[in-house]
Amino acid sequence: MNTKPESQSLAAWVEETREGIDSGRFPARAFNDQAVYDLEQERLFSKTWCFLAHESEIPHPGDYVTRYIGNNNLIVARDEHGEIYANLNMCRHRGNVMCKAEMGNASHFRCSYHGWTYKNSGELVGVPYMKEGYEGRLKRKDWGLVRVRVDSYEGLVFGCLDPEAPPLDEYLGGFQFYLDLYLKHGLGGVEVHGPPDHWIADTDWKICTENFAGDGYHTPVAHQWGFHLGYFPSSGSTHSQGWAVSIPGKGHGIGLGHGPNFPPFGGFPDDLVAEMKQSLSPEQVEVFSRTRTAVGSVFPNLSFLMQPFSLEPGEIGVRFVTMRLYHPVGPGRMEMYSWCLVPKNASQEYKKEAYRAYTLAFGQAGTFEQDDFENWTKVTQAAGMTMVRDVDFPYIMGMDSAPDPEFPGPGHAVVPYVNDTNFRNLWSRWADYLAGEA
Amino acid sequence: MGEQPVDRDTVSEIQEFMFREALALDERRFRDWLAMLTDDIRYEAPLRVIREGLAVWDLSPTSRIFDDDRQTLEVRIQRLETDFAWAEQPPSQTRHFVTNVLADPGDNPDEYKVHSNCFIYRSRGTSPTPSLYSLSRKDVVRRTEDGWRLARRWAAFDQALINAHNLSILI
Ligand code: FES
Ligand SMILES: [Fe+2]
Repeated sequence: MNTKPESQSLAAWVEETREGIDSGRFPARAFNDQAVYDLEQERLFSKTWCFLAHESEIPHPGDYVTRYIGNNNLIVARDEHGEIYANLNMCRHRGNVMCKAEMGNASHFRCSYHGWTYKNSGELVGVPYMKEGYEGRLKRKDWGLVRVRVDSYEGLVFGCLDPEAPPLDEYLGGFQFYLDLYLKHGLGGVEVHGPPDHWIADTDWKICTENFAGDGYHTPVAHQWGFHLGYFPSSGSTHSQGWAVSIPGKGHGIGLGHGPNFPPFGGFPDDLVAEMKQSLSPEQVEVFSRTRTAVGSVFPNLSFLMQPFSLEPGEIGVRFVTMRLYHPVGPGRMEMYSWCLVPKNASQEYKKEAYRAYTLAFGQAGTFEQDDFENWTKVTQAAGMTMVRDVDFPYIMGMDSAPDPEFPGPGHAVVPYVNDTNFRNLWSRWADYLAGEA
Repeated sequence: MGEQPVDRDTVSEIQEFMFREALALDERRFRDWLAMLTDDIRYEAPLRVIREGLAVWDLSPTSRIFDDDRQTLEVRIQRLETDFAWAEQPPSQTRHFVTNVLADPGDNPDEYKVHSNCFIYRSRGTSPTPSLYSLSRKDVVRRTEDGWRLARRWAAFDQALINAHNLSILI
């Protein structure tokens, strides 16, 4: 074998990491390391289904947004027939960037270098000096933009670079049951309230994915200001109540935090609750009516949070939903996209209230968000220290917890909500990809 | 705009008010700062989106980085007064550079529309790399019996992708 020593040791490290996860250990190095980052690009982001856009971001023919899968910049566009396509944002002629804006509307993309022109679905339709220059040797159909597979669930458009990967449905593997809480809390589905907040941070994307896969453990401390002043309807002593649910072998996970005196579907307007009883299954209603906070991650880097936030201390407040994407841009560095989702048919009043609650709590100046990022940047910094290269973290909460037999939803549901089970599942999936076995 | 230019004395009073308001923020005298706001303050920062040259908007009509009123600003300040506002522990060092202050008559007799540029330098802890924010502000200030008050802050960041892990400061 002519494997380079570094990659040999990285492979050994991945193997060791996989074994460690089974016994509740995970290496700090994973959160800030060039080699691990490179391996993720090569083996993880090139194979998983990655979130691209919500359909409501591109509602009309010609609407497009530019997004990423790993380090690949893509144009996600709705064509003239309403179909959504994702193509690499690169001209096939000499590689110029086609769309330099973050969003827009265009029936065609015309390259600013030599003028090749593509339909918004990606087919090449125009080549200057086609006859004189190419003398019939260039077949337009062979030189369209590089297409990426897309598929969607309830308005969420995902892309996958691997033509061999199983379909999205299988990839989500039952997590749809939980996604419905965020996507079907109203008969008309949801829409984005506007373009996403967008900022860059010295934080590894995995820390965020993990946190949103159900880290109820951090809330009473990291967000203590909210408990302390009464703006968050839970208390430190009861905060561990609820379920942690993971989808074994898929990496997805959700935390469903309960509150002892929290009314069913508290924080939603009555008409929306009535709609949810129709849009959701009885099993979903049973699970979600009790849920105060639902915080979940779709493997690898898409998360959701639904929780109430109150401006009147002691009151239940208003529910909002945020969807966030953690786009890795280097070891220990990421670009954050954060949306507020609102029920499409809800009253303007509720949409506005929910958006304000989101902005105050989880936008880029959000009072909860601020403290999360403070912690996450510090974790990332620490993980980059030389001495930390061999340090593991304990992931041993709920190590022997048996699934709750009463739980009506799919996946592996354990109590309490404060639990590491989701994280072990998440990291073992991640490690499978890095080992080339997923 | 256009009709009656605002007289020099008023402009200089407004300028001084803007500078004192910035000073209160930089000195972290947040209660003093709150006292400089009207009860019906609107405090917003629309989200900038990078779009083609001829697009109808590049500041989102719906997305906001700040979307505050008196009540929510009080929440922000109350939070900073707890021991658990981790994002500001230790606090950011900020310096608001307010320039190009132009005042025009407002929609009400005691109000003025104030355009200003604001450049914020923010450093955190021992990091040698500061965050820099450049903003265009279109505010409304009101003359009251108790002095000048800020009735509206509208500030647009000159950058779409904000290079900071959070925005735990005020603009
Ligand atoms: S690079 Fe696009 S036409 Fe030449
Ligand atoms: Fe958090």
